[in-house]
Amino acid sequence: MKKVLIGGIGNILLGDDGVGPYVARLLTARYEFDEGVEVADLGTPALDLVDQISAKDAVILIDSIDTDAAPGTVLLYRKADIVRHSSGVRMDTHSPALVDTLLGADFFGIAPASVLLVGIKSGSYEAGCSLSEPVIASLDQVIAEVLRELDRLDVGYVSREHPAELRIWWTTEEKIKSQSPSL
Amino acid sequence: MAKRITIDPITRIEGHLRIDVEVDNNAVSNAWASCTMWRGIEKILRGRDPRDAWLFTQRFCGVCTTVHAMASVRAVEDALKLEVPLNAQYIRNLILIAHALHDHIVHFYQLSALDWVDVLQIPKADPVATAKLAESLSPWTRNSRNEFKAAQDRVNAVASSGQLGIFMNGYWGHPAMRLSPDVNLLAFSHYVQALEYQRKALQVVGILGSKTPHIQNLTVGGVANAIDLDSPSALGMAGLENIRVLLDDVVRFINEVYFVDVCAVAAMYPEWFKIGSGVRNYLAVPDLPLDSTNTIYDLPGGYIKDGNIAGVHPFKTASDKEFRESVSEDVTHAYYQGGQPLHPWVGETEADFTGWNGDQKYSWVKAPRFKGEPMQVGPLAQVLIGYAQGHPLTRKYTDLAIGKIEAIGGIHVTPDMLHSTLGRHAARAIRAAMLAELAQKHWQLLVDNISKGDYTVHNQPVFSGHEVEGVGTHEAPRGTLSHWVVIKDEKIKNYQAVVPSTWNASPRDANGAHGPYEASLLHTPLARPEEPLEVLRTVHSFDPCMACACHAFDPSGRQIAKVKVL
Repeated sequence: MKKVLIGGIGNILLGDDGVGPYVARLLTARYEFDEGVEVADLGTPALDLVDQISAKDAVILIDSIDTDAAPGTVLLYRKADIVRHSSGVRMDTHSPALVDTLLGADFFGIAPASVLLVGIKSGSYEAGCSLSEPVIASLDQVIAEVLRELDRLDVGYVSREHPAELRIWWTTEEKIKSQSPSL
Repeated sequence: MAKRITIDPITRIEGHLRIDVEVDNNAVSNAWASCTMWRGIEKILRGRDPRDAWLFTQRFCGVCTTVHAMASVRAVEDALKLEVPLNAQYIRNLILIAHALHDHIVHFYQLSALDWVDVLQIPKADPVATAKLAESLSPWTRNSRNEFKAAQDRVNAVASSGQLGIFMNGYWGHPAMRLSPDVNLLAFSHYVQALEYQRKALQVVGILGSKTPHIQNLTVGGVANAIDLDSPSALGMAGLENIRVLLDDVVRFINEVYFVDVCAVAAMYPEWFKIGSGVRNYLAVPDLPLDSTNTIYDLPGGYIKDGNIAGVHPFKTASDKEFRESVSEDVTHAYYQGGQPLHPWVGETEADFTGWNGDQKYSWVKAPRFKGEPMQVGPLAQVLIGYAQGHPLTRKYTDLAIGKIEAIGGIHVTPDMLHSTLGRHAARAIRAAMLAELAQKHWQLLVDNISKGDYTVHNQPVFSGHEVEGVGTHEAPRGTLSHWVVIKDEKIKNYQAVVPSTWNASPRDANGAHGPYEASLLHTPLARPEEPLEVLRTVHSFDPCMACACHAFDPSGRQIAKVKVL
């Protein structure tokens, strides 16, 4: 049995930064996964992310990204892409630390063999609890990338006949419906 | 020749800390602390149900989720004058203590120890001599030559590969690094072990809170933990026993490793008792309530002005009248609209971004003031305020720490020397030892109360039609946290969070008074201004946390310390 973490990262209070936690809930509502797969809303972790990714065979992270691409663009990163850039001397001791987390897990010998970051270029980080249109439009592609990675890992999943309730408690019911294109 | 150094570790777009210092004759002559991203999150809460506020506030930050949840329910309970059952108080206290122990361990080892410990000296260490030294300091059973050898082997592997990985950004070989190779190895081996013990502390939070990083068991008026001694799905003897075993391990690590290491590092860098003092006004609120009406506490609060420890002013309760009435936020140098300082209940959060200008606005952090003065918050404030009041537990561990530092370093240490960079580290270790003892006490209090047959965990909130105000506080790992709520018609009318790092990272106010980070950096000597390790040591001693905002991953990676000749 492969141990896989699918983790949504981001702050649900800051617009498109909430896409990770959002996708984690979409996945749980729509699919059933093999035993050993954990789908989690990781919020905005700092170095405690080391604990979350330790003892896993594979980790799939979903997070908003800041690049020059158009909002809603989905880009994939492997570990080598992520750790290529030094994370710098840390002034704020608790800054979120994906690079440090991956390097730390390496040092402690508990790094997962496979890491994929599914990044979604954000439209807006304004304080607020909903996603922007371009990011909403990208959700199905994000989910497809996660599933493709599971296929690659030879980990099974099935689409639920009746999708479970989507518990996006931070936004209102009407918005949930309009923000989930295929529900 | 004067130089301006900007330390702006931009690798992501979250709100992080930027420090600017001017350096003249190899010492800091001026300093600015700035948070680089707007929060403005409080506005989201307006119009929502006060019973739901904690779910949102615990998303302010990824590190301190629990503390914001707790301050929020306490604020609403204060507004509604709602009592909290004893079981709920004990369970909350245990969660807060376990979170703080996790946080203090991680702060010292993973986040700041490498400011003092030179990893690249470790290959020169002798594990046998290190074990001998370690055994002389502590009874910790994992101070063995095998553990030290294993830690050294890990470093050797990294050092010889040429890929320093997680250690690629240290100021290795810096002249301010002065520990012997053996002491470096000793501390580093504990850096590796610390990862295990902070995890155990977090597991306690997870068991009681149902889940981390975001606990699920809170509710306005108590907790949602079902208590049933025999049911495996409720909190029963099995869960409580599990917690006791985890806590025992964490407590031993705190007493035999963390506390000892901080004393040893302090003894070997005694000059840092004279550096980094800054703002000598201190603030802490009472915490760990022992009754359902919040009148008796395990940890004392109060304030100290101008370093006058003997003249401490105690607070009676966690929402003391003097505290409630004396807090305001000044936005003269912060990117917000507004004139006069405002009390949090009438606080506003309207952005006015101008770009960094050291003479005008330069930070997204407001300047909180107590009676118009900047205050330092955090473990040092907590320890000095407790010590000044003769609080027995604070005295016990402060005296123990001072005795240990004196014994190891052969130096004379007085409580006054705690106004310093090392004082902040020592105070955090003292507080951790106090909390470790209190963890076991509150575990016992909970078990005893349940054993009496009291299974009550919740009181139902009752709203009146009137507009009501409340403040919820918590002495969080980084200091005094306060959430301020105004409720009308069962809805939130206004909400402001005054968080520990805004007290400490505060910019200047209308009077030009520096915030604590800024003041603490003045006169700091720098051996190599282009490698400002000494600035990091002092700023890190506050345990800064600006991770209260955004988390997007920035694949480009950017640079750090920029040096400009003025």
